[in-house]
Amino acid sequence: MSHVVLEDVTKRYAGHVALAGVSVSVEQGEMLALLGPSGCGKTTLLRCVAGLTAFDSGRLTIGGVDMTGVPVRRRPIGMVFQSYALFPNLTVRGNIGFPLTVRRETKTGVAERVEEMLELVGLSEQGDRLPNQLSGGQQQRVALARALAPRPEVLLLDEPLSALDAQVRHRLRDEVRRIQHQVGITTVFVTHDQAEALAISDRVAVMNAGDIEQCAAPSEIYTAPSTRFAAGFVGNRNTLELRTSGGRVTAGGAFDVEAPWERVLCMFRPEDVSLRREGPGARALVDVTVFLGATTRVYVQAEVNGSPATVFADLPSRAAASLSPGDAVRLSVDPGHVQVFPA
Amino acid sequence: MRRRIFLGLLGLYFGLPLLAALLYSVATRWTDTPLPDGYTLDHWIGVFGKPDVTSALLRSLLLSAVVVVVDVLLVVPAAYWSVVHNPRIGSVVQTIAVIPFAVPWVVVGAGLQLVTASFAPGLFGTFWLLAAATAAIAFPFMYWAVEGSLIAAGAVRLSEAAATCGANPVQTLTRVIFPAIRGGVVSGALLVVATAMNEFALAKILVGAKFETLPIWSARQFVSRTLGDPNALAVVTIFTFGFLFALSALVVRLGRGRVSTIGRTLR
Repeated sequence: MSHVVLEDVTKRYAGHVALAGVSVSVEQGEMLALLGPSGCGKTTLLRCVAGLTAFDSGRLTIGGVDMTGVPVRRRPIGMVFQSYALFPNLTVRGNIGFPLTVRRETKTGVAERVEEMLELVGLSEQGDRLPNQLSGGQQQRVALARALAPRPEVLLLDEPLSALDAQVRHRLRDEVRRIQHQVGITTVFVTHDQAEALAISDRVAVMNAGDIEQCAAPSEIYTAPSTRFAAGFVGNRNTLELRTSGGRVTAGGAFDVEAPWERVLCMFRPEDVSLRREGPGARALVDVTVFLGATTRVYVQAEVNGSPATVFADLPSRAAASLSPGDAVRLSVDPGHVQVFPA
Repeated sequence: MRRRIFLGLLGLYFGLPLLAALLYSVATRWTDTPLPDGYTLDHWIGVFGKPDVTSALLRSLLLSAVVVVVDVLLVVPAAYWSVVHNPRIGSVVQTIAVIPFAVPWVVVGAGLQLVTASFAPGLFGTFWLLAAATAAIAFPFMYWAVEGSLIAAGAVRLSEAAATCGANPVQTLTRVIFPAIRGGVVSGALLVVATAMNEFALAKILVGAKFETLPIWSARQFVSRTLGDPNALAVVTIFTFGFLFALSALVVRLGRGRVSTIGRTLR
């Protein structure tokens, strides 16, 4: 049985639909990322699980127990906020111990658990500091330790890394995953950063306009998006709007795939694009090359079914080194990696 | 340069009257000369030996203490509720907070006198009526200070974090919110004390000579010129200023980055 289950949850704000009948479940020990653009309803959904926002209709169960009407403080959750929300008057130890002291646990029990949590997040040396004496990354670790201290059943993370600089964010992202694995806690993680979602979650729920477009493993979301929105939102993709002929779309020889609609959007990733000097494919001219380190992004102007189109390809930098602006190339895409949606 | 001149003039504007009062409080005689004829501490030594002065001072301190307690107990939870749980009532409270400044305090006092005489004669002319009225006119100072602190401290997010930690509303208010806004509460309390210590109109109308506070005593020194003691008045003026100034300094000092008990016990 799934650990956290949301069934047909709806929420409206003054006529605006924040959640349009969302149904999703999270398995025991699983990390589910809610991914989507601003205003898609991902944070509202998380707040509904926490009880900080009441939903209009639907049902939420945690561990099989109906949470409807259960106040926040009685829910078996721990939450980490984007802005950390550490208590400024309490030391690191005070913050981590807070959920335990409000539950009237013994002093010894609190002290032991606090030390355990400090060790888990690697802040044993900073226990007596106040939040304003810590870096952003350290503060977020304290917030994580505070959320985990009372051994909640579900951990809720509301864009916990978005306020950090890139380097710290990447390090902490991996650490959050390590800790989640180590503790084995069911986790719901809200983010607008697709790389973050794909990197650390077991499943990703791509949200748009208050609903879930696709919920699947990161690799599936990346390679086989089921909707046009999911395809466009996750990762970089080329998008070509083309006419079909005889139930197929050929893209001037770049690819040839089935297409059961008259006009279609063909989407494919830049790493699936091949550029050769000669051979089959659509004719194209190299426009710009952008060196990205291991790969180089090559923009080409192609002629697709009689119309000009810009396509970009991510090639290994060594392979792209021979290409210069103005070079004539042949562009092709593996048909198996082209997603087709009605235009 | 202009800024310096402006600040200098401002300093003179505020500083000269205080300096004059200070000099007068230690003057043997000061009539038509630029400076006193001589200096003495007799007025300072003598004034607090006068029963009417000490009684008036104690009454003002008692009034201030009661008003501060009432305002803290009423305003802090109300401001918390309006900021965190019901922002829509914020504008209503803001409007109410303007009333004490829109209506002259003499009118407030006279109105209260009429109302209590008719509907609550037991309260008429009592200290408790004066305390309630002073708390009512001083509450905006507390409200504005506390509201500002709540917003600056991110009280909404802190309350949510406390709730997800399992804290009930009382624990949230006493262990998270109150320590986070302590500076604002103390600033508000200081303004309330200053208001209560210096409040004259309400005290004069509601209790008058029955409960002579320091401002009423001070006024008496002006009215009864033959019996009044202007040097003692200067001493009381400087003392009141010094008292409130010292209180402010203490409050600022105490309010800086203190760690609460829970943090210490868990070390």
